[in-house]
Amino acid sequence: MTVRRIALVAWHVFKEHVRDRVLYAIAGFALLLVAASILLGQLTAGEDVKIIKDLGLAVIEGAGLLMTIFLGVGLVSREIDRRSIISLLAKPLPRWQFIVGKYLGLVLTIVVNVAAMTVALFLMLKYLDWRALPVERAAWDAAAADPHLLLATLMIAIELALLTAVALFFSAFSSSALLSLAFTIGIYVTGVFSLDLRRFGDTVEAPSIVSHVVAAIGWIVPAFSAFDLKAQVVHGLPVPASYVTLTAGYGVIYAAAAVVAAILVFSRREFT
Amino acid sequence: MRRVPLWIGIAVVAAGIGSAAALLHAREAVPLPDADARVLFVRPGPAARRVFLSFDAIAADVYWIRTIQHYGRDRHSLRTTGRFELLQPLLDLTTTLDPHFNLAYRFGAVFLAMDPPNGPGRPDQAIALLEKGLSVAPNRWQYAHDIAYVNYWYTGNALEAARWFEKAADMPGAPEWLRPLAATTRAAGGDRTGARLLLHEMATSDQAYIRQTAARSLAQLDALDAIDRLTAIVEQYHTRTDAYPHAWSDVVSAGLLAGPPVEPTSGAPFLYDAATHAVTLSPDSKLLPLPHLGR
Amino acid sequence: MFPVRVLGLTKDFPQGFWRPRPHRAVDGLSFDIPEGGVFGLLGPNGAGKSTTLKLLLDLLRPTAGRAEILGRPAGDVGARQRLGFLPENPTFYDHLTAEELLEYFAGLFGYRGEDRRARAGAALDRVGLGADRRRPLRQYSKGMVQRVGLAQAIVNDPALVILDEPMSGLDPIGRRDVREMILALRDEGRTVLFSSHILSDAEQLCSRVGILAKGRLVAEGTVGELTRHAGGTDVTASDVPTAFVDRAAARVRKTSRIADGRYRFELAPGERPEPFIADLAAAGAALVSVAPVGASLEDAFLHALGNDVRVDDTRGDRSAAS
Repeated sequence: MTVRRIALVAWHVFKEHVRDRVLYAIAGFALLLVAASILLGQLTAGEDVKIIKDLGLAVIEGAGLLMTIFLGVGLVSREIDRRSIISLLAKPLPRWQFIVGKYLGLVLTIVVNVAAMTVALFLMLKYLDWRALPVERAAWDAAAADPHLLLATLMIAIELALLTAVALFFSAFSSSALLSLAFTIGIYVTGVFSLDLRRFGDTVEAPSIVSHVVAAIGWIVPAFSAFDLKAQVVHGLPVPASYVTLTAGYGVIYAAAAVVAAILVFSRREFT
Repeated sequence: MRRVPLWIGIAVVAAGIGSAAALLHAREAVPLPDADARVLFVRPGPAARRVFLSFDAIAADVYWIRTIQHYGRDRHSLRTTGRFELLQPLLDLTTTLDPHFNLAYRFGAVFLAMDPPNGPGRPDQAIALLEKGLSVAPNRWQYAHDIAYVNYWYTGNALEAARWFEKAADMPGAPEWLRPLAATTRAAGGDRTGARLLLHEMATSDQAYIRQTAARSLAQLDALDAIDRLTAIVEQYHTRTDAYPHAWSDVVSAGLLAGPPVEPTSGAPFLYDAATHAVTLSPDSKLLPLPHLGR
Repeated sequence: MFPVRVLGLTKDFPQGFWRPRPHRAVDGLSFDIPEGGVFGLLGPNGAGKSTTLKLLLDLLRPTAGRAEILGRPAGDVGARQRLGFLPENPTFYDHLTAEELLEYFAGLFGYRGEDRRARAGAALDRVGLGADRRRPLRQYSKGMVQRVGLAQAIVNDPALVILDEPMSGLDPIGRRDVREMILALRDEGRTVLFSSHILSDAEQLCSRVGILAKGRLVAEGTVGELTRHAGGTDVTASDVPTAFVDRAAARVRKTSRIADGRYRFELAPGERPEPFIADLAAAGAALVSVAPVGASLEDAFLHALGNDVRVDDTRGDRSAAS
């Protein structure tokens, strides 16, 4: 029954997003950009496959980030704003199941979108591969439709799932969508620079207390930059399996902790 | 449903984030090719400015931060090849994106000129970077001063240094001490007295990193003086006993030294080589390598 | 078993940082609602009705005291299995149709497959939305949304139905439909608790009422109990001598002159009309009519609130109550 209720909430979130025009705007824009990279690739002699991979992966990540942040921030606060939460919570639906369902629903939406964009990118690369001469192929770092690209998109998906959990936490925390938007973007930017924070002492001469505090912040904030394998995959460099599993484990555990934090906050909230 | 006590919840969240961070830490042991992303992404040049649309100033800031990180990381790293290989392109890109990035020229030049292992040891690149700065801001006497300094200190070209000190002195707003400095440099060439004069002026600079560089250079001069003094003492021992000492302890027991000599700023000992009778600074010293300046 | 039990329920709301004294919205509320029948929670706006209902649903957490729903503490998920709730001015999901919404909620109650579809359809048919079930909710009028709200409150065959201001904002036909629905639910043996500030609705529906004012329960009981002390008798007579009018002033609550020699006397509740009529006849007046004044809930309401409002002749002007 628990699983069924969570799945119901998640499916309902997915359905809502599928019917949301914002999602189509972002997805359409992303597809347009991926397509435009074909044109761009033709302008740069010889490096077209690399550029299309670079741009394709960047667009998948960028569009995913937009979706995650804008849909994630409204995940709970929209229910509160339009007061639909009041009739929903009067149902036999424990609050933690509501939060978990909401989370999984948005993750489903994002995974489906990332998968769709990945398929589009692969189709385009297949087309380039089919058109290319053997001489051109020999110059590539990696095959055009290289299955290793899936590794990069998988990492993007995990990164987005982690960001969803962060956005959900702030959405459960604050009644103002704008405020949770600001918090989420703030944490994301800090997280992108988390590696620099962890290595603060190496690059900046500062009292050791300061660099320890900064490094501690670097360990605590979600390390969004840790999931970036785009350059390695595009250049066909080997990525150790343990690197991938540890990174994925990091993302999954951190996301779970953030969802638990969201439940803690949400189960203590009152609705007037 | 009864709610879970808050402290249990917070403990679960903290444990989760903690174990996630532990995984992240474990991952750092796994080597990843190009993990430091030693890639520029953008070639320096006019095209770079267009790529960033109207955000080139911000891009310059980002590349500046990457320059500092690259410098700091390589200075602490044990890598033997390709040290500081991106320093020049990063500085070039930064100053292309923001041609008035004063700090990038001056900081960049000092560190480009530094000898290994503290820098790439490329005074030529340092001078080229500063000349690029002068082409944008022809009246910035600081750039001319810095070119003179690099010539004086790293390439040992005192005449060229004097020429640049004079150029700097002719620029509007240049301080008065530049002209006597130019004259001394021209007259004395690369000697330590002239160098001291220059460094004492630099030690009053408003830029902290220039003050630090000056202080370090002064300590190097003191070390050179100390080596000269110690060599003289070794010679004195020779004339007195008709034999060279085997170690500092011989010199100490002869009453010529109070104890084994130590370089005061770094605490590193001066070494005596019984075979060549040469006095050197311990390779542990942070002052190495010492400049080649005559007395 | 009492479907709703409330014991010393108190709720404070903070009023902001610089006003440390919290606002007490509900203050030591205690009452039980017996099984079956319709209970009306009445009171002026801001009396604490909605806050009380939200405390019952665990949407708000009490500062002190406790509430039980169907024998379990408020907030117990199991109790909600047999609970239906209609919020005040409900809103749902614009992107869903009424059918999808009802099936979603029916699923949360644990119904599956054909059963789930059938229950959703039956609930919509019952509120008269069977024909519009496949239209998205964003196209619905306010009255239709209210009906959807009622449908989702009964989709789980609840033992207890809680309705927060179910008639607010509806047109007369809508109000009549909601009234009929409440009575039908009662006839099916369900307990209905609703809040309202409209007394005529409550008077027609409730077996019991509780009257809230400033967060406190000022009166509670059957409608009959509450109206016992209200009312009185109107006596109208013609050819009344002026001297009698002056003499009678001490015995009646109010005297109104209708025309020359024609008066209406209002006797206070508990004052028997017969001696007064005998005196009237003895004074030579002609009796026109004797009418008991309807024992209205409104009088009881105003009495309970302590608002000693003079009710005018026309009995229509109740500005003091609104």
